[in-house]
Amino acid sequence: MTPVKKREAYTVSKVRVATTSLAGCFGCHMSFLDMDERIVGLLEHVEFSRSPINDIKHCEPCDIGLIEGALCNADNVHVLKEFRENCKIVIAVGACAINGGVPAMRNHFTLQECLEEAFLDEIGVDNPHIPNDVEIPLLLSKVHPIHEVVKVDYYLPGCPPSADAFLKILTDLLEGKEPSLPKEMLHYD
Amino acid sequence: MEQNRANLRRVAVDPVTRVEGHGKITLLLDDANHVREARFHIVEFRGFEKFIQGRPYWEVPYFVQRLCGICPVSHHLAAAKAVDQLVGVDELTPTATKLRKLLHFGQTMQSHALHFFHLSSPDLLFGFGSNLEHRNIVGVIEDYPDLALKGVRLRKYGQQVIEVISGKRVHGAATVPGGVNKGLTIAERDRLLGDINDVLAWSQDAVDLNEKIHTEHPENHGFGRLNSNYLSMVGGKGELELYHGGLRASRPDGSKIFDQFDYRGYYNIIREEVRSWSYMKFPYLTELGRDDGWYRVGPLARINSCDFISTPMAESARQRFKAFGNGGYVHDTLAYHWARMIEVLHSAEAIRDLLLDPEILGSDLVVKGEKREEGIGVIEAPRGTLFHHYKVNEDGTIKKANLIVSTTSNNQAMNESVRSVANEYLDGNEITEGLLNHLEVAIRAYDPCLSCATHALGKMPLEVELISADGETVDHIEKASSGAIKRTV
Amino acid sequence: MNKTIKIDGVEIPFKEGQTIMDAALAADIYIPHLCHKPGLSPHGSCKLCTVDVNGRAASSCTMPAAEGQEIENDTPALNEVRKTITQMLFIEGNHLCPSCEKTGDCTLQAIGYHLGMLDGHFPQFYPRREVDASHPTLVLDRDRCIMCELCVRASRECDGKNVFAISGRGTKRHLIVNSPTGRLADSDIELDDLAAHICPVGAILIKDHGYEVPIGRRTFDLHSVAETDLDEVILTKARHHDEGDDSGEKEGGVYGV
Repeated sequence: MTPVKKREAYTVSKVRVATTSLAGCFGCHMSFLDMDERIVGLLEHVEFSRSPINDIKHCEPCDIGLIEGALCNADNVHVLKEFRENCKIVIAVGACAINGGVPAMRNHFTLQECLEEAFLDEIGVDNPHIPNDVEIPLLLSKVHPIHEVVKVDYYLPGCPPSADAFLKILTDLLEGKEPSLPKEMLHYD
Repeated sequence: MEQNRANLRRVAVDPVTRVEGHGKITLLLDDANHVREARFHIVEFRGFEKFIQGRPYWEVPYFVQRLCGICPVSHHLAAAKAVDQLVGVDELTPTATKLRKLLHFGQTMQSHALHFFHLSSPDLLFGFGSNLEHRNIVGVIEDYPDLALKGVRLRKYGQQVIEVISGKRVHGAATVPGGVNKGLTIAERDRLLGDINDVLAWSQDAVDLNEKIHTEHPENHGFGRLNSNYLSMVGGKGELELYHGGLRASRPDGSKIFDQFDYRGYYNIIREEVRSWSYMKFPYLTELGRDDGWYRVGPLARINSCDFISTPMAESARQRFKAFGNGGYVHDTLAYHWARMIEVLHSAEAIRDLLLDPEILGSDLVVKGEKREEGIGVIEAPRGTLFHHYKVNEDGTIKKANLIVSTTSNNQAMNESVRSVANEYLDGNEITEGLLNHLEVAIRAYDPCLSCATHALGKMPLEVELISADGETVDHIEKASSGAIKRTV
Repeated sequence: MNKTIKIDGVEIPFKEGQTIMDAALAADIYIPHLCHKPGLSPHGSCKLCTVDVNGRAASSCTMPAAEGQEIENDTPALNEVRKTITQMLFIEGNHLCPSCEKTGDCTLQAIGYHLGMLDGHFPQFYPRREVDASHPTLVLDRDRCIMCELCVRASRECDGKNVFAISGRGTKRHLIVNSPTGRLADSDIELDDLAAHICPVGAILIKDHGYEVPIGRRTFDLHSVAETDLDEVILTKARHHDEGDDSGEKEGGVYGV
């Protein structure tokens, strides 16, 4: 339980990476963590800005922004724009960010129908009404992929992309190369 | 209180971080910084229950696992259990059941390890109000590399079990109606067995560490503590059971509200209240009513409620847990972490036992039956009891779906814990980032999966705003991009 | 003496009456295609098989092979156009691979992989299309239909029926069923028909099945779409998937018409 090493100040040379999940399932973040021990090596070159794995709540100027999830409410759009403004490179990660993914299945219905199903018509619902407090962000009438709202620099498909794919694209960028995904890492599922 | 809301100062913690999903906390404070209201909001909505309608039933386990990338296996299996009923199968082959259990234990291990090591350990190792920039897994890797690596490897092992059974670590493909789509080969089994002794040792270490953290920090015992009801599944003999069993609900003193209840009648015992300020509903036990019927689920509920654990190392850990509670239920919210690690140990033992069971290598994988119109599947997901309920049309498409995800069941409890911590730590004080993190620590103990909870959708935002009694914003605090507190008045 | 054509500089023989596609497949040269299936009359609608023949663009599935043709096929420029066509096919429908039961066995998806497609590029249409689950053993999910008309031709030319057709224009184009009610249940399609198994995407599905082949053993986990004898593999697999065969390949398929 004794700290073995005092934390050194972050060196300026590290590449700053921010990550976020919009309307997604966090599966892409899980897959990112699936690089297991290899994350230790990555941390020699990378430091994290805003990410669900730390307590930084807003995106600050960064080199790379990894964005999981589609856009389904006003807050998602706000966060996405914050990332675009602050990140030199924005990468759309996973099926939802790229084409809406499973959340986009709600586009087959009106938003009203979805809300009524969940909060009015559901089995065992008590006090049925649709939540409407000011604290709740407004929902978009349709779910959209992120490239329809901001410019996206690179795409990393998969549901989720594998840990190897994350590592490949980040390594390419760290080495100053144009990222490319070998065929065996290219999946849409 | 209600009529004064406009006169209070609003504090929001937005987004709540180091949890899986999207949510925020808001506080309303009066002139003297007394907390008048504290709420934990779920701010996303995905609408799964609607858009699954009209889809063929056999697709369901594959849609719904995408509710959540952290515990996709829970949704996959709960839905698969419901689909088994839709095709008229009440009992799988022994091999299929064991393969599904193995998958489930793999995910319980990886999800619990992720939660403790990657998300919550920084609070417990560094302190709730410690340096924000260091208070994360990267900081743990820097200061406690051995511990961090054990955590990373425990999660890795769980993920490897999942990958072997389902072909992928996240969102794999394992189940078919009435069974599973592939058996386990001898080579796969031997590969998993190769690491099991290390995994058992790391799991025991994780239990010991959490026991020590909890027992040696009396100041944490009352933190967000709630004398609540509990709900969980138990096995036929009252043992800890994560895959299949009856429902048991208990009062704070441990007395039973019901026991061995067949979950297919869940709608008779649970109702869900809608409140205007959250997309996550508030379930309660119908028998006790809306005000008193809320309950907690998850590791704390399970370790409290079960009569014993079938594997020896975890049982011995449970007995020490029980001794801490003097034989009664432990209501400390932070004891969730300890209970969670006991389940990691149990998962490790159960994985070993399943791998050593010759039946796990069997090839009889699927059972067929006569179609039915309704199926209800329930399992103990890492975060608690998970209900999936489907009705189908004659043509095999989904007519109606109802999901009560584990985190939803803890909704009231998380709100109660936030209120309790706000009153104890923030009330009357000037609000700092460190104090705000106390609210998040309380939420994190539940390992809320807001991704699931908003099936619906996942996201957990933290922003705190104080509004004075005459309606003026006295203090507005956000965690700024640097991580530092940003205060605007 | 054999007559020959040249594809990407490689000289291959052809027989009178063969299209460029026929000659290429016989010589194990892959020209990307979705709406073509040997044995069915060529359709020329997906345009993926467009090649340069003596400097002019032509659909290789409909263009007769002719002595002296110099053909460009596997070039960066042509593959870029093919990728754009594939992207358009993806965004026009609701192709959500992650939960689709055809994933891993879907030719459209495999073409995307082959061409290195990473995104849809264009705004998503998200059309609202009808699912027809009325039939006892088949489901029609129009979300995934790419209007290749393989089912239309298979039903007419092989099954001796006339179950499917494409109706409407532009974004309103859709697959219709030839029955008094327009529902699949009231048509004369049967589970054993080729039309029930020929769909290259997940639009025509066998009921109560799906996800039976484990990840890692699906068609395109094991093969690249560029393997020219793959049409046969896919069809045999589709038609035998009720027999507990998870190897993905089986002798004696019904393919070949």
